[in-house]
This record gives sequence, structure tokens and C-alpha cells, in this order.
Amino acid sequence: MSKGKKNSGDEILIPDSIDKLIHEPARLNIMTHLYVIESADFLFLMRRTGLTFGNLSAHMSKLEDAGYIQIIKEFIGKKPHTMLRITEKGRQAFDEYRTIMKDFFNEI
Amino acid sequence: MVIKMIEKIDLRQVEKQTYRFTFSDGIYDIAYGSLLIFIAIAPILREMIYLGYIFFMILPAPLIILLGKKFISIPRMGIVKFNYNRSKSKNKLMLLIAILFPLTVILVVLTFIGMFNVKVGGYIVPVGAGLFALLLLSTIAYTLEYPHFYLYAVSIGLGMPLAELMEPIVGGPLDYIISFGTSGTFLCIYGIITLIKFIKKYPIPKEEIPGVKG
Repeated sequence: MSKGKKNSGDEILIPDSIDKLIHEPARLNIMTHLYVIESADFLFLMRRTGLTFGNLSAHMSKLEDAGYIQIIKEFIGKKPHTMLRITEKGRQAFDEYRTIMKDFFNEI
Repeated sequence: MVIKMIEKIDLRQVEKQTYRFTFSDGIYDIAYGSLLIFIAIAPILREMIYLGYIFFMILPAPLIILLGKKFISIPRMGIVKFNYNRSKSKNKLMLLIAILFPLTVILVVLTFIGMFNVKVGGYIVPVGAGLFALLLLSTIAYTLEYPHFYLYAVSIGLGMPLAELMEPIVGGPLDYIISFGTSGTFLCIYGIITLIKFIKKYPIPKEEIPGVKG
């Protein structure tokens, strides 16, 4: 794994192998919440992450395209309801991300 | 900013906070407060509607929770499903509550109306019932990881012996009104304030949120 180094401005660079998709703060927030629960709907994630509808929607699309989250259509009573869940791939990516970041912080 | 966020990630803590968020609407406080208020006025209701007052003790709290969650919380908060372990322990607990709660209320009520001809004197019955309620609700608080339930446990656990202690001083039905009504009113007011804050903070979204408005 190639490691990041300090640049001339003393800014800490992140490891090159880090998953940039997860590393973005808003998406990291979404992934963290989905990681600890079974599933949640769009509104619940909006409330927990503090993101607006448009922002959350855009980040969700990116995570879904990467196969990190899954959209589940289900019925609550007679009403259709959309739930979001982290996929196995997303879970592994998040675990890997945490390991890399922990190692990185242990080394600096 | 990212580095600070990563340092702060404690998954257990995030899960706990997410779980506690589902209680942030104050509905449980209102439900439990109303239960205490109905216990407080139980002697008056008993005089008015006889055994019918049991329904006032069993029904309002679950109804407040069910209707409050359905029509107030979920449209503002959304829906979340927790992981298997938490859901499993919660389901077991709900089953336990569903069985023990009406059973306890019925047994207490039948004891008070003299159905069992209990001849135990002094404070044994109220202290025993108080301890039972204290233990039951503390177990619920521990399992649910919802600290307010400890408050509920203390309020009902102390309420019974307190009512017995006050009976010779203020007489009935004031003993019940003071012992349970005070904490019930306090809890209800606290719950209503929390609910108003919740409604203001989380209005029903105007956008067409997928899965919320169908």
C-alpha cells in the first residue's frame, strides 16, 4: 500500500489506496449510518445525516452505482416504500476503508 | 475535517445514537405519563365506571405510542430497521411487555377491589408491587438502552408505597393523585414539550421523498 506523505504546506495527504468514494465526508456519513443498521428509508437518512434531499439523492446515486448500497422496494400496509441498505460489497469497502485509515493514523 | 470525522467514528456509538434518535419525539414520555395519570385517578374512575376503568389503564398508553408513531413521528423521522440482534432482543421484550403489562394491571386492579381476599397487612403488598414494577421497568430500560425508562421505573416503583404512606395523612383518592399524578403530569408535560420541539425541528418534508409519500 502506498502511503501518503506530508506536502510542502504541511497538509496530511491521505493514502493513495483509500476509497475516494467513501472518503467524501457526506458519503462517509451515509455509509457509517447504513453500516450500523439493517436498513432505513430516505427520510430517516436525511434526518440523521443532516443532508438536504438533493444532496442525499446525488450521493446515494453514486453509492448505488458503485454497488455499495441497495434500494429495496417493499410494502408497508398497502403503501409502497423504498428502503436503503448497505450491500455486502459496501460493507467490505467500508471495513477496508476503516482499516486503511486506522493503519494510517497509527503510523503518523 | 475528514481526518477529524474518521477519528470520531465509533460505530457502536453511532448505532446507539441512531437508536436513541427514534425516542426523541417524546411520545413514550407522553404515553407513560398518561398511564401514571390514569393510575392516579383510578380510584375516582372505579367509583364512576366500575371495572371499565381497567381499559383506561391498559389502552391509552399503547394507543398513544401506536398512533403517535404512525401519524406524527414516522412522517417526520422516517423508518429505520435495526440489526438482527437489537431487533431480536426488542421483539422478545415487546412480547414480554405485551404479556406482563396487562397481566400486572389486571392483577393489581383485582387485588385492590378485593377479588383475591388478600389479608396481607402493612406495606407488604404496595412495596412488593412497587419492587416488581421497578425491576420490570428497569429491565426494559436496560434492554432498550433508553434511560427514561429508569425514570418510569422509579416513578411507578415509588408511587405504590408512597400512596400507601400518604393514605392515612391525606386519605383517598388524594393519596393516589399525589403519588402518581405528580410524576405523571410532569412526564406528560415533558413529553409534550419534547414533541413540540420535535415537530418544529422536523417538519413533514414538502419534497416528494421516495417511499415517504408513496
